[in-house]
Amino acid sequence: MAKFLVRNLFSMFVTMFLVSLVLFFLLEVAGGDVTVRLLGVFATPEQRESLRRQLGLDAPAWQRYVDWLIGSDWRAQQLSPYPLTMAPNPQTGEQEWWTEVDGVLTRWRMVEGELLAIQRTPDGREVTSPASVPWTTDETGAEVFWGVDTRNNLVKWVRGSDLEVLVLSKAGVRSERGGPQQYIPLRKGIVRGDAGMSLQTNRPVSATIFSRAANSLILAAAAFVLVMPLALFFGVLAGVNEGKPLDRIISITGLGFTATPEFVVGVFLILIFGIWLRWLPATAVFLTGDAIFRDPKILVLPVLTLMAAEFGYVARITRASMVEVMQSPYIRTAFIKGLPRRRIIFRHALRNALMAPITVVMLQINWLIGGVIVVEVLFGIPGLGSYIYDAAIFGDFNAVAAAAMLTVLIAVMTRLIGDMLYTYLNPRIRFA
Amino acid sequence: MLSSSRTTKTLPVLQVQNLTVAYRTRKAEIEAVRKVSFDLHRGETLGVVGESGCGKSTLGWAIVNFLGANGFVRNGSIRFEGEELVGRSEKDLRHLRGDRIAMVFQDPMQALNPSLRIGEQMREVLIYHRQMRAEEATERCIQALERVHMPDAAGVLNRYPHQLSGGQQQRVVIAMALLNDPALLIMDEPTTALDVTVEAAVLDLVAELRQTLDTAILFISHNLGVIARICDRVLVMYAGEVVEQATVRELFHSPRHPYTQGLIRCVPHLGVDKKSSVLYPIPGRVPRPDERPTGCLFSTRCQYVEDRCRTDPPALRVLSNGASVRCHFAEQIDPTAWAPPADVELAPAVSPPADAETLLFAQHLKKYYRVPGASLASMIGLGEKRFVKAVDDVSFSVRKGATLGVVGESGSGKSTLVKAIIGLERIDGGALEFMGVDISGDLSKRTLDVIRELQMVFQNPDSTMNPAYTVGQQIERPLRRFKIVPRHQVREEVIRLLRAVRLNRTYYDRYPRQLSGGEKQRVGIARALASHPNLVLCDEPVSALDVSVQAAILNLLMQVQRENNTTMIFIAHDLSVVRFIADYVAVMYLGQIVEYGPVDALYSPPYHPYTEALLSAAPVPDPDVQLSQIRLEGNVPSAIDPPAGCRFHTRCPRRTLMPDGGRRCEIETPTYQETEAGNRILCHLPLETLRSLKPVSDVHSGR
Amino acid sequence: MTTAATTPEMDKRPSLLRQVRDALDLVFSSRTAMVGLAIALFWLGVGLLSLFWTPYPPNAQMFSANQPPNAANWMGTDHLGRDIWSRIMAGTQVVLLKTRLSADPPIVIPGGVAIWGVIGAVVVGGLLGVNAGYRGGIADQIIMQILDAFIAFPVIVLYLVIVTSLGRGDLIVIAAITITGSPGVARLVRGLTLDIKTRDYIRAAETRGESKWYIMLREILPNARGPILVDAMLRVGYAIFAIGTLGFLGLGLPPPDPDWGSMVNDARKYIYANPLAVAWPALAIATLVIGVNLFADGLREEIMRYQR
Ligand SMILES: Nc1ncnc2c1ncn2[C@@H]1O[C@H](COP(=O)(O)OP(=O)(O)OP(=O)(O)O)[C@@H](O)[C@H]1O
Ligand code: SF4
Ligand code: SF4
Ligand SMILES: [Mg+2]
Repeated sequence: MAKFLVRNLFSMFVTMFLVSLVLFFLLEVAGGDVTVRLLGVFATPEQRESLRRQLGLDAPAWQRYVDWLIGSDWRAQQLSPYPLTMAPNPQTGEQEWWTEVDGVLTRWRMVEGELLAIQRTPDGREVTSPASVPWTTDETGAEVFWGVDTRNNLVKWVRGSDLEVLVLSKAGVRSERGGPQQYIPLRKGIVRGDAGMSLQTNRPVSATIFSRAANSLILAAAAFVLVMPLALFFGVLAGVNEGKPLDRIISITGLGFTATPEFVVGVFLILIFGIWLRWLPATAVFLTGDAIFRDPKILVLPVLTLMAAEFGYVARITRASMVEVMQSPYIRTAFIKGLPRRRIIFRHALRNALMAPITVVMLQINWLIGGVIVVEVLFGIPGLGSYIYDAAIFGDFNAVAAAAMLTVLIAVMTRLIGDMLYTYLNPRIRFA
Repeated sequence: MLSSSRTTKTLPVLQVQNLTVAYRTRKAEIEAVRKVSFDLHRGETLGVVGESGCGKSTLGWAIVNFLGANGFVRNGSIRFEGEELVGRSEKDLRHLRGDRIAMVFQDPMQALNPSLRIGEQMREVLIYHRQMRAEEATERCIQALERVHMPDAAGVLNRYPHQLSGGQQQRVVIAMALLNDPALLIMDEPTTALDVTVEAAVLDLVAELRQTLDTAILFISHNLGVIARICDRVLVMYAGEVVEQATVRELFHSPRHPYTQGLIRCVPHLGVDKKSSVLYPIPGRVPRPDERPTGCLFSTRCQYVEDRCRTDPPALRVLSNGASVRCHFAEQIDPTAWAPPADVELAPAVSPPADAETLLFAQHLKKYYRVPGASLASMIGLGEKRFVKAVDDVSFSVRKGATLGVVGESGSGKSTLVKAIIGLERIDGGALEFMGVDISGDLSKRTLDVIRELQMVFQNPDSTMNPAYTVGQQIERPLRRFKIVPRHQVREEVIRLLRAVRLNRTYYDRYPRQLSGGEKQRVGIARALASHPNLVLCDEPVSALDVSVQAAILNLLMQVQRENNTTMIFIAHDLSVVRFIADYVAVMYLGQIVEYGPVDALYSPPYHPYTEALLSAAPVPDPDVQLSQIRLEGNVPSAIDPPAGCRFHTRCPRRTLMPDGGRRCEIETPTYQETEAGNRILCHLPLETLRSLKPVSDVHSGR
Repeated sequence: MTTAATTPEMDKRPSLLRQVRDALDLVFSSRTAMVGLAIALFWLGVGLLSLFWTPYPPNAQMFSANQPPNAANWMGTDHLGRDIWSRIMAGTQVVLLKTRLSADPPIVIPGGVAIWGVIGAVVVGGLLGVNAGYRGGIADQIIMQILDAFIAFPVIVLYLVIVTSLGRGDLIVIAAITITGSPGVARLVRGLTLDIKTRDYIRAAETRGESKWYIMLREILPNARGPILVDAMLRVGYAIFAIGTLGFLGLGLPPPDPDWGSMVNDARKYIYANPLAVAWPALAIATLVIGVNLFADGLREEIMRYQR
C-alpha cells in the first residue's frame, strides 16, 4: 500500500512537471507576441522591444521557464548586493519586493541619471533620498548597480544613463525616463505559490485565483454531491435490468444528456425556467463575494446544467460495470447458491461493480471542470472557469498558466484519491 | 437401463424427459440439447461425456434453469424428487438451488467472489437456507472444509479467494456445494482447469465423497479417463443428443454406438507401449447446430453409414444388455471386427536411427526472470534482487530426426525452455548449440538462416492464426520472408504444404474463423513447415483440442516428421501423449529436469518419485485399471525461492524411504544417477530402492 | 484426407458484397444504431444539399432582425436579419464536409474539421498506443507518462490553452482535436495491443524474425480495427461537441462560414427578444452529437453481444 502510494505520488509529480512544461512552452513560447496585446498594433518596434525587456522576455526560454516554475529570486540574489525580501504594501496589502539595506526596506528609482533610494519607515511611510550604492564596473567598463525598482523587478542601473522606457500602469502606457538597462522580474515561482502578475489586471494572479476557485468549488461540489448518488443509483438499476425497457430508458436518457453539450443544456434550461416560466434567474448576478450564500437560487440552473452532463456519464459507466459483473462466474455461483436476488446485488455485485466507476468518476473530474468553464461563462459566475476563459481571451499567459496548473492539480489529486479508494476496495491489491 | 439394484425401489432424484434446450442467436434459434432423457438415483454418479459443443454444459445449466438471457427450455420435463422444475417460478427454484441442488463448475478462481472472504461466501448458504446463526454456521463451514481435507479450515474462512491455490479453491467450492447435503450435485468439468497432480487429488476427494454421501452426482467431463474413474453410468452426447447410455463397464468394454467406439479408440492409453500403440482419429468434426444433417447426426462421420442413416433419424433404443443406443445398426456393428478405414492417417511405426548426429545441445541452461520486490526499497532499485528461476541448470541433447518430449506441471518451466531455444527469451547462463552454431543469444542476434531452421507450433488453435489474413496469406509469409521458393511458385508451394497437412486447395482463401480448431492447428503446422526447418518446437499443440482431433494431429505430426526427417521437441502436461509421440522424455519440476531418458525406460521402475506421481495421477480411460495412488501434497512451491536441497522434497512421497528419513533431501542437492536403461534420475535414493518400487500400473493386466 | 473433409458452403472467400451485407446486418439488428445512423445521415444530407442550395444565402442580411418563425423564414431570422435555417444548413459544412486550409487564397479540402481531427487523433494515438503496448518496458512508461500529462488536462482547458497560444483557424481546431483525442486513442490501442500481443500468431511472427514495425502494423493493428473504428465514431461525436463549445466560447472556427456554436453564442445576447434563435442551433448540435453517439453505441453493443 505504501509502495503504491509512493509510486502514484511520484507519477503525479512527473505528470505535473510535464504539464508545466507543456503549458509554459505552448503559452509563452509558441504564443503570440504579448506586446501586441498590451500596446496594440500601432506601437513602434522600439517600444515593443522596451516592453519585452521589462517583462524579462529577452531571457532564453529555459531561463524564463525556471523563473516561472521555481522563481527568479535565487538568481537575482546572486546579483544584488543586498538581501531581497518581500513585504506587504501598507495600503493594498499586496506583497512587494524590497531589499534590506542595514535593516531598512529599500528600493530605488532613477531620475535624470541620478539614483534615488526609497526607504520604508517602520510606520509605513516612504522616504526618498539620494542613494549611495556600491557601484561596480562591468565588462564594458560602465558603472552598474543591481537593485529593486518600484515595480518588483531586479534591475541593472547604469550610472549616468537616462534611458527612455515605457511604463505600463493601470491608467495605460506612458513613457518615462531614467530606465534601467536590464530587468529580472522578481517572482517566487508557481510551485512556491507565486504565479506572477496578471497582464490584464496588473495584480498578482495568486491574489484573485483562489477566491475565484472557491466559487467554482461550491458550484462543482454542489453538482457532484447531488448527481453522484442519482447517477450511481440509476446506473445500477439499469445494469441489473439489462436489456429491459427500464434499462433502455435510463441508458438512452443518459446518453442524451452526455452527448448534449453543456451550453446547449444550459441554454434550454434558461429558455424554459428563466424566460418562459420565469421561475429562476437566467443569469447569476454577483454583486458581492458571498452572493452564492445570500441567494442560492442563482445556483440552481448552473448546478442543474452540470448535473445533466455528469449524470449520463457516470450512469453509463456504472451500468456497464454492473452488467459485466452480473455476467461474471461468481455471480453465477451466487445464483446457484440460491441466494435472494437482493443479496446477490448488494453483497456480491455492487462492491465489485462500483470499483470501476469510482476510478472513472475521479478521472471524470476533468469533464466536470470543462463543464464548469462553460457554465460559468454562460451564467456569468465569477469562478475559476470564467477566470481562465477571460484570461485566455485576453492572452494573459500568467493567469492562464496558473489557472490551468490549478485545474490540472485538482484533476490529478482526485485521480490519486480515486486510485487509493480503488486499492482500498480491492482486496486483491490490499492483501497482495 | 436400470443399472443398480437400489434404483428400482426408489423414486429417482432427477428425471429428465425429452428435454430440448435452445439458444436465441442473431441468425436463428439453435437447439443445443435435443430430446434428452435420463434418470438419476440416490447415491449414483452419472457421467456426461462428449466433444466440445455437444451440449454437456447446457444440460447442466438447464437443470438449475440458469441458461442466461438467451437460453430457454423449449420442450420436455425435468423432475426433481418427483416435482416438475420446468416452468417453476424463480422463487421456488431459488429455494432448491444451494440447498437441494448444488453445482460446481470449471474455473474455481472465477467461481468465488474476489472481494468477499471465504467465510462469508460459505456461511451465507447456511444463513439463507437454514436460517442459522452466524456462529453455528461458522462451525458447520469448518466441518465442511475438514470433510474436503482442507488444512487449517478455520483460518481459510478468513481469507480471500486469491490467497488460496487453485486446488484449494476447488475444495472450497466443493465444500460449499455440500454444505446443505444436497440431493443432487452437478459438477461441470470440475478438474479441467487444474494440474494433473491436483486433479488427481480432487478426483480422489470426489470418489471418497461418493462413497460416504448418498448424493446423486451428475458429472460432466470431456475426459474419458476421469469419467471411467468416477462414474457408475455414462451418457454419451453428440451434437446435443444422447447417443448412448450404459453402465461405465459396459460402455468401456463393449461400446455400442460408433461414436462411443471412436472416442475410446482415439485416446492414448498410458499402459500401451509406444511401438504398438496407434491412435485412430474420428474423421470430421461435430456439425455446427445450423448445419446438422437430417437423419442420424453422426452420419457425416460414421464409418458404417448406410443410406437409411442419412434420411431416417434413429431413435434411442434399449438393447439387450441394458444400454440404450441411438443407432440403426447397433446390433450388427461389432467393434472387435473393426479395422481402420483406408484413408485414415495413422502414425508411422519407424523409429529414428539411434546413431544420428546431435542437432541441439544444451548445457547448464538458465533462464531467470527478475521479479519486482514488494518493498519500497526494491522500487528504487535498492532491495534485494529476486528471481523466478524458470529454467535452472538444464542439460540435454537432441539427435537429428528424434523427438524429445518435455512434461511437467504448469510452472515447471517447459514453455520457458522452449522460448529460450527459439530465441524469444534471452538465456541467462549455460551453453546452447544448434547444428554446431551457438544460439545462446535471442532472436535479434540470430541470422535468418538459423531462424529459418527453428520453427514452432503453438498451443491454442484460436490464437495460432491471425484472424485478419487468409490461410494462404499466412503460409505465404514465411515462404516470401525466407525466400524458400521463387516468387511465382509461392502459390503452388502453399498448396503443396496444405496438402502435406491433409487440407485441400480450397482452404487457401479461407479466413481462420471459418476453420475448426483442428484445421487451424493443421495450418499452424503447415506454416511452421514452410521454411523446411530442421527443428520444430511444439508447445502443447493438442491440449486444447478435442480427443478425436488430438489423435489426428498427433498422427499428422509424426508423419510429417518422418517424411522430412524433422527433429521435434514436444511439450505436454500429459504423460500419455508424450509416450505416444516421443523418443526421449524429459520430466521437469521447478525449472529442473528430474528425469531424462529414452521413452520406454521412463514408464517402468526405476523412476524418479515425481515421475511416479505423475504416472499415477493420469486418469486412465478404463474403469478396471487401478493405478497405485501416489498423491502429492500441497502445490508446486514458488519458483522464486525454490526449496533447498532437492526441490521436490516438500512434496516427495518417497522421501521416507531414505535411510535418514529424508533429512538429506532437505539439505543436499541430488546429482543425476544413470540407470542401465539409459535414464538419468535426479534423486538421492539409491537406484535399487527406486527399482524395487511397484510399477504404477501393471501394464498388461487390464487389457 | 479425413479430418479436413470440406464442407461445400465455405469454399469461397467472402466477397466484398457479402462483407458489406454482414456489416449492414449488424447495423440493422440494433435499433439504437439505426436511429443514430438515420439522424447522422439526415445532417449529412442537409450538409450535402447546402453545398448546392440553401433557401437564402446564409450570410445575406436580407430580412428584418429577430423575426420569429414564419412562412419565409422557417426558423425565423437572427439579430442581423439572416435566415436561420439557411445558416444551420450551411453550418454542417465546416463540421462534416470541408476544411479551410487558408482563407486567402481560398483553399478548401473535403472532410470536415471534426473528421480530420479524429483521423489525426486515431493515427497519432494509434501509433503511440501500439508502440507503448508492444514494446512495453521503458518505452511504454515514457509514452504513457507523457500521455498522462495530456489526459490530466481538462479537455476544454487544453483547448483554451491551444487556441490562446496558436490562435484560431480550421487547422488549429484540427490540431486541438488531435492533441486532446490521441491520449484516449492511445490508451485504447495500448490495451488492445497488450491483449493481442499475447496471441500465438504474434509469437509465430517473432519466431520468423519479423521486425517490430511489421508486427505492430501488419499483425497487431488489423486486429484492433473494430474497437478503434467504434471509438473513432464516438470521437467524431465528441469533436462536434467540442467544436460547438469552442464556438459558443467565441473561440471556434473562424467566420465567414456559419458555425452552430457561434450562432448560439451570438443569439444568446438577444435571448429575451428572440429565444428561438438560440434554440435552433443548440438543437442542431445536440441532435447530431446524439445521433453519432447512438450509432456508435448501438454498434458496439451489437458487436459485443455476439462476440462468441
Ligand atoms: N449463451 C449461448 N448462446 C448461444 N449459443 C450457445 C450459448 N451457450 C452455448 N451455446 C451453444 O450451444 C452448444 C452447446 O454448448 P455447451 O457449452 O453446452 O457444450 P459443451 O458440451 O459443454 O462444450 P465444452 O466441452 O466446450 O464445454 C454449442 O454449439 C454452443 O456454441
Ligand atoms: S445410425 Fe447409421 S450413421 Fe448413425 S451411427 Fe448408426 S450406423 Fe452410423
Ligand atoms: S532426493 Fe529425496 S526428496 Fe528428492 S526426489 Fe529423491 S527422495 Fe524425493
Ligand atoms: Mg462445457
